[in-house]
Amino acid sequence: MLLNILVGFAIAFFGFVLQTSVAGVNRKIIARLQKRYGPKWYQEFLDIFKLLSKRATSHGWIFDFGVIMALGGIIATAMFMPLTNNIVAFAGYDNFFIFVYLIAVGMLGMAMSASGSGNPYASIGVMRALTTMLAYEVPFMIIVLTIINTTGFSSLTEIGLFQQASGNTWFLIALPLGGIVGILSLMGMLGKKPFETYIAPAEIASGPMVEYGGKQLGMLFIMHEITVFIEVSLFVHLFLGGAENIFIFLAKYFAVYTFVNLISNVNGRLKIDQVVKFYYKWPLIMAITQAIIAIYFGWVVSI
Amino acid sequence: MASIEILILILVASSIASYFLTKLNSFAGSILTIFSTMFVFVSLAYYGFNDTLITTVNILPGFTFEFTYLGAYFAIIVAFVYSMVSFFHPYFVDHYKYKNAYNMLFLLSLAGVLGAFFTDSFLQLFFFFELIVWTTMFLIPLGKSKSAAVSYFGFSAAGSLSMLFGIFVMFTNVGSFNIADGLASLSGTKAVLVFISFLIAGFAKLGVFPLHIWLPIAHGNAPHPFSPVLSGALVKLGAFVAVLALLKVSPASAMITAISMPFAHYIIAILGAVSIVFGTLMAIREDDAKKLLAYSSMSHGGYIIVAFSLLDSVALAGGFYHILAHALASAGAFMAIAAVARQTGTTKMSELGGIIHKMPITYIVYLVAIISMAGIPPMGGFISKWLIFQAVIDKGLIFIAIAVFFGSIGSFLYVFRPLAALFLGQELPQFKKTVKEAPILMLIPMVIITLLNMYTGILPNGILGFINKINVELGFFPLVINNPALTISGNNGTLFPALIAGVFGFGVVVAFIIFILLKKSRQVSLMDTYTAANFIHSEELLHYSVDFYAPLERLYEKYTTKMTDFYDALANKVKELGKLAKYLFMSKYVEVAVFWIVAILAFLLWGEL
Repeated sequence: MLLNILVGFAIAFFGFVLQTSVAGVNRKIIARLQKRYGPKWYQEFLDIFKLLSKRATSHGWIFDFGVIMALGGIIATAMFMPLTNNIVAFAGYDNFFIFVYLIAVGMLGMAMSASGSGNPYASIGVMRALTTMLAYEVPFMIIVLTIINTTGFSSLTEIGLFQQASGNTWFLIALPLGGIVGILSLMGMLGKKPFETYIAPAEIASGPMVEYGGKQLGMLFIMHEITVFIEVSLFVHLFLGGAENIFIFLAKYFAVYTFVNLISNVNGRLKIDQVVKFYYKWPLIMAITQAIIAIYFGWVVSI
Repeated sequence: MASIEILILILVASSIASYFLTKLNSFAGSILTIFSTMFVFVSLAYYGFNDTLITTVNILPGFTFEFTYLGAYFAIIVAFVYSMVSFFHPYFVDHYKYKNAYNMLFLLSLAGVLGAFFTDSFLQLFFFFELIVWTTMFLIPLGKSKSAAVSYFGFSAAGSLSMLFGIFVMFTNVGSFNIADGLASLSGTKAVLVFISFLIAGFAKLGVFPLHIWLPIAHGNAPHPFSPVLSGALVKLGAFVAVLALLKVSPASAMITAISMPFAHYIIAILGAVSIVFGTLMAIREDDAKKLLAYSSMSHGGYIIVAFSLLDSVALAGGFYHILAHALASAGAFMAIAAVARQTGTTKMSELGGIIHKMPITYIVYLVAIISMAGIPPMGGFISKWLIFQAVIDKGLIFIAIAVFFGSIGSFLYVFRPLAALFLGQELPQFKKTVKEAPILMLIPMVIITLLNMYTGILPNGILGFINKINVELGFFPLVINNPALTISGNNGTLFPALIAGVFGFGVVVAFIIFILLKKSRQVSLMDTYTAANFIHSEELLHYSVDFYAPLERLYEKYTTKMTDFYDALANKVKELGKLAKYLFMSKYVEVAVFWIVAILAFLLWGEL
């Protein structure tokens, strides 16, 4: 059991390093897109270590406790995440629902801490983050319902293996409408434009993050990177057939994150009610259509 | 050895004793209430879990009792909530006009609950139901509003009478009021009649759409210590009746093959789903913390109905576990709100803020309760929602799933509101000096409930073992639980709650180590915040709690009054009918009365003469 926990922690740490590097490389890519030179690929690491080493201000115990709970919850969630078919800390217990709901503990911790700072911008940010969550989560869950119903497994490794066993028919292809919904929901999860409403730096001063500095902000940055790692890996396992080995995982991971980032950078930002309206219109309709086709008619594309 | 009869008699006796004792000294009377409810809970739990509860009747004439796992499970939960809430009485009863009646009715209603869950005869079930309705009807108006009791009584009476109708239908079938015989004898049209009439009773009690109107009114206006009982315990009576109807009556209806569910049950599941969505949306826009929790009870009632109507072993176990998880979570949250209300005098979220700095323990109680209510691990609500999701996914119920997932995510939104508005945010100046942490006697039950919320989420297998007995009793398969390994198996995966909690604990420890190793932060006041160069001088202006989800609310606020409008219109129609009847039959002219007498006599004697 101790070994499993160590493996899990290694996965969480790997996720942090991976996502921070990928984010750095992506900053470079985006910069080139905009005809800039861009920062070094390890700039994100420098930012985080600088923040961790600085002396910060605190707004009372809940402000600190929330940050600890946020980072703790996210590390715990990442520890369940499988990397490949074999690299998984707790085999058999990498249940999909753990990721959706355990991640919420971390989110709740962050929301609590932000509200505890007493800054109304932070509260507005939290409100927007929760509203966005209500928007993107339902279509996403319907698609996951379809996937679990089709495969009969809710374990991520098993879902990945199922896709590999069927000759690499990824659910992105087998459930085409669902794949589109998956990508849209992933963009909402990652807070990418046009669903960036809850960060909105120019509008509400980075939302929940407004009061942080120093180690608290550094820890929230780490938390953010691991959260992105969880969400992108979730997509890789659910829709892109998991990974046989670590290189395939890295390739898929990089492709997904970069793709989403590229879309994000040519978009503006929606208003919060537009986000809700958007998700409850096309993605939900597509998700329901896909679910009906796949579950009741049994029409799943297979090669 | 404890017999149900003795327990009920003890409650009745102590309720009379507490009436007089409270008159002399309210503290002593409340202590008596605490001891008698605790005694009843402990003996029920001990003998109930060991199957050694005696059901023979020696003293009460005409009453018969029966031990079922189903009844025992409900009774233990309800008695637990009662015993925990009774700790609040010493601090609250003095505020009420009829304080002695408060303690007496409280104990009497618990006696009614015990009777209702352990009886084997429908007539007694109805009697105990009415005992609960009548006692609680006099408890609710001791709070904020008298009209709340009318609303509660109206819906409860409609439910009870509907149940009575179903009981009579069964009586005509078998000629006795025995519950098992009566339910087993049904077929054809009679089964449909009983199914519908019992579900009306269950829905009215549980506060499920479309019979939910009373729930926020009664919960919001009931005395503060009674709201946890209403939400955590008494609405579960509705779940009990719903179980009887959904699982033991099988009305003839077409089978929907795609989802392998009878049509009638699917309709009920849809109503549960509507209830989830409606409760969630209404809770999101509610300003009163207690009404918000009342709407959340409605939404959770929907989950319970969905779970039972799926006719699936896993969902059934999930539904039973949800009853426990919601009772604990809702009792914890309502008690925390009651504690805040006692210290500050209000439950309006727009008037409160920053209470956490004075009431940290109450805050933790509320936090754990809402984590469970939102179905987030490592608390009990996660286990039950996970089980319900398993069945919904396995059956491929897409439209139910939308509601179930929507309610689950939406609950993050509404449970966070009181957390942010009551406890977090700016510390408002009017509460800086006056507010203190709740007294120790009030903290004891809140801490016990918090620990149980965690226990149900980390080690659910003991309780699930008991639920398995209920499943078998009702003719379903037991849930697959592995006891030394502490895992639960659903339809498409295995859950290891203790591992999740352990890993979460590990993550928090890691984060704490990172936090503590780094440089210590400088403490600053809450007013020392970034305001985009605006000079803001008062706490109120920096506290964001009114219309928290305004952009979301704007999308559906037009439709929120639909149901109340419908009931208002219905009430108007009834009034008009009453006026017509009054005009026709109760006119002041003698000749009209004579005319009607003659007309009715003529009608009755038609063909006889």
